[in-house]
Amino acid sequence: MKALVVDDSRVMRQIVIRTLRQAGYDWVDVVQAENGKEGFDAVKSEQPDLVLSDWNMPEATGIEMLHNLRASGQDVPFGFVTSEGSEEMREKAAAAGALFLIAKPFTPEAFAEALKPVLG
Amino acid sequence: MTQSTETVPVEPDSVEDEALAQIVDAMWMSYFGHVEPLLAAFEPHDIEGAVLCASVGISGARPGLVSVVVEKAGAVPLAAALLQEDGALTDEDVYDSLGEIANIVGGNVKALVPDAGALGLPGIAAAPPLPSSAARQAARLDANWQGHWLTFVVWLAAPAQAMHHDFHHTSTDTGTED
Repeated sequence: MKALVVDDSRVMRQIVIRTLRQAGYDWVDVVQAENGKEGFDAVKSEQPDLVLSDWNMPEATGIEMLHNLRASGQDVPFGFVTSEGSEEMREKAAAAGALFLIAKPFTPEAFAEALKPVLG
Repeated sequence: MTQSTETVPVEPDSVEDEALAQIVDAMWMSYFGHVEPLLAAFEPHDIEGAVLCASVGISGARPGLVSVVVEKAGAVPLAAALLQEDGALTDEDVYDSLGEIANIVGGNVKALVPDAGALGLPGIAAAPPLPSSAARQAARLDANWQGHWLTFVVWLAAPAQAMHHDFHHTSTDTGTED
């Protein structure tokens, strides 16, 4: 099982990976990308089982990456991890095909709840 | 009762000191729960000496800016606590950490602003931001952590002035030349 973590902040990527471990998913391999463009390429090259992506990033945003993935036929399970957790953002995420949106600040419990349907 | 002549309804600020304090508290509990608590000050405290400041902009009907200003001496231990890494941190790690703090607070503040547009990417500077005259301070939190002062500030354009507003954003790089 492999997860792709996409965030332009190295600090936040580390926090996401740490929280993934704390949520009990220490058996999941993690690969990283720094923006939506790199993330799109990494989905092709790494074939992850799940994408955890920030929303606001340079080069290409998370929602642009998700649109591009779906447009290219990639149906990899996709969830947002973002500081913007408003109902409007959740509706946009769901409409684009995201399975969930975890709002920052988050807890290991929030990760476990969101990831259980995907990673088991 | 006199009838208002305002053509634009003026709404009370949806972002107030208490809301900002709750947002900062939630962030602290999630990411800094393993270190000393952040102690909120009862009175405003202007930080003297060198600082680092991370800011994110909010676009929309009422453009705004959310900033965290930290004593420079406190920035490294703050980043180390966030990263939970004992090794030497680079300047980039410190700027990245402060930017993420501003991003988390900014994203949650944005959710409270009616008709908000996009949240910008964090910018780092060696001085607090200079909002335009149209902006007003909507909320502020001064706090102390391990002897270091931090100030969280939310600037928002007043509703009736929002259409004529433009912020002076901070630099988007390491910002010492800003």
